[in-house]
Amino acid sequence: MTLIPKSRFLGGAEIAAVLVFVAAFAVPAITKSVLIYSILNQALVGVVAAQSVWIMLRMNLLSFASPAFMAIGGYTVAIAGQYEITDVFAMTAAAFLVPALVAIPLGALVLRLRGTYFVLVTFVLSQIMQLLLFETPGLTGGSNGISGIPPATIFGTELATNRQVVLFACGIALFATIITACLTRFFRQHFAAIEENEILAESLGLVVWRYKALGFVVAAGIAGLAGYSLVTMLLTAHPSSFDSGTAVDFIAYSIIGGRSSILGPIVGTALMVYATNLFGTHGQYAQGLYGVLILVVVLALRGGIVGTVSTLLRKARGA
Amino acid sequence: MSELRVEGLAKRFGGLRVFQDISFTLPSGALLGVIGPNGAGKTTLINVISGRQPPSEGRITLDGKDVTGQPAHAISRLGVARSFQQTNTFKSVSVRENIARAVRFGQRGMPAGLEALLQEFGLSARLDEQSDKLPYGLQKMLGLVMAFATGPRVLLLDEPAAGLERAERQHVDRFVAHVRDAGASVLIVEHDMDLIRRLCPRILVLDAGVLLADGPPAEVLARPDVIAAYLGDTEEAA
Repeated sequence: MTLIPKSRFLGGAEIAAVLVFVAAFAVPAITKSVLIYSILNQALVGVVAAQSVWIMLRMNLLSFASPAFMAIGGYTVAIAGQYEITDVFAMTAAAFLVPALVAIPLGALVLRLRGTYFVLVTFVLSQIMQLLLFETPGLTGGSNGISGIPPATIFGTELATNRQVVLFACGIALFATIITACLTRFFRQHFAAIEENEILAESLGLVVWRYKALGFVVAAGIAGLAGYSLVTMLLTAHPSSFDSGTAVDFIAYSIIGGRSSILGPIVGTALMVYATNLFGTHGQYAQGLYGVLILVVVLALRGGIVGTVSTLLRKARGA
Repeated sequence: MSELRVEGLAKRFGGLRVFQDISFTLPSGALLGVIGPNGAGKTTLINVISGRQPPSEGRITLDGKDVTGQPAHAISRLGVARSFQQTNTFKSVSVRENIARAVRFGQRGMPAGLEALLQEFGLSARLDEQSDKLPYGLQKMLGLVMAFATGPRVLLLDEPAAGLERAERQHVDRFVAHVRDAGASVLIVEHDMDLIRRLCPRILVLDAGVLLADGPPAEVLARPDVIAAYLGDTEEAA
C-alpha cells in the first residue's frame, strides 16, 4: 500500500501557465497593432498583480496590499532611472527584492490578523502608501510623480519601441509566473492545508506563520514586478497608477478566473481586461457593465471560470 | 517515552475563569482520563496543553523541558499531538492526502502501526475517498489516526467517543491500545464513563475549573463530591 503519494514538481496547470507567456512573445511578430499592444500590456501588468493576490488567496487571505507593493517596485525603478540605472536584470531584481524586504516587517504585523481585520489592514497599507507618495515630493515627486523615466535597457540596448515594451512585459510576466508556479506548487499541500483548516494544520505541526510570511513576501515581490512593468509601459510613476482601488480589480481577476489554479488569474485577467476595453466604448455604462459581469460570473460560477471548467471536466470523465 | 507535567495551570478569558491551579503528571506510557460536567474546562485544558491557547498561569513541562506558552506547531513537533471533539479533517481532500499531510507536517516520519490502524478501522479500503464523504464515525476515526500519524509521544484525545455508536466505540479502545503499543502516553477527555472505566487506571475530575479528584476510577467515582458534581447536590435538591 502506497500511503503517501509522491507529487510531481510541476503540474499541468503550471506548465500551461508558463506556456501562455512563452506564446505571448509571438504576438509582436504576428501583429503591429498599437491597440493590441496596449491591451496586451494592460493584461500583462494585470495578470502579474493578480498573481500577487492569488498567492495570498491560496492561504485564504484576501489582500488589498498589492497596489502598495506595486508602488514600491514601480517607484524603485523610477528613482533608479533618475540615476540612469536602467538595466533590466538589475531593475527586475530591485523591483522584486525591495517590496519583498519591506513586506518582511509589515508581514510580521499584519499576518497576526485574520479575516476581515487582515483585509482592512492591507487596504489601509495601500492608503498609507498613497499618502507617502503624495507627502514625500523630494523622493517621489509628490502629486506630479516621476515622469520622463528613461526606457529600460538590456545589454545596453534601449527597449524604446512599442514592440520592445510588449516583449519586456512578456518577460516580466513569464518571470513572475515561474516564481508563482514554483512557490505555490512546491508548498501546495502547506498552502492548501492553511486555506482549508489552519487550526488543524497547526495542530499537526505545520508552522503556519512561516508559510504565510513566505507567501506575503513573495506576493509583495510579484506585485513589485507588476509595478515595474506598469512604470516601464507608462514611462511615468504617478500615485494614481497605484490607487488602492485598483486592488479590487486584481482581486476580481483572481476570483473570477478561479482561485484553485494558477490559470485562474490568467483567465480572469484576460476576460476582464478585454471586457474593460469592450465596455469602454459604451461611455457612462462602462462601470455598470463591468460590475454586472463580475456579479454574473461570481454568482453563476462559484469556483471561478477555471474551477467550474475543471469540475465539469472531472464530472464528464467520471460519467 | 515522555513525561508530561502540569503545575498550577490556570486559564482566564478576561474576568472569566475557566480553570485554576490544575496540577498533574502524565508519566511515560501512562493513560489518564479527565472527566467533568460540561463547562468544567476539559477542552480548554487540552487547548492550553497543546499550545492552541496560552495559559494565564502555571507551567507545562515535557521531559523536564519547559514548553509553557509554546505555539501549537512547536508543541506538536515536540511530540504532543491532539484530536478534536468534533470531526476535524481536511474535508476537500482524500483520506490518503489527510494522512499524508499529518505525516508530512509532523516531520517525524510515518509511525509504525499506522497502516495496521487504517486497516483495522476500514480506512485503508477508502483511502481515495474524499474525507467529508465518509460516515461520521469514520471521519472521527480519521481525525484520531491523523493525530497518531504525526508520531506523538503524548496524545491528547478530546472526547474521542462523542457521537459514535456503541459498536464504533470499540474502535476507540483499539486505537488507544495501538497508541500505547507505540509507546505514547494518552490523556483522554471523555463523558463516556464505561469507556473511562475500561481504559483508564487513573482519572482526574474537573468541576467548574477546579481539580476535584485524582485517583483510580472506582475510588474517585464513589466520592460524594464527584457524584454531586455530576448529579447535583442531592441534599440541596432534597
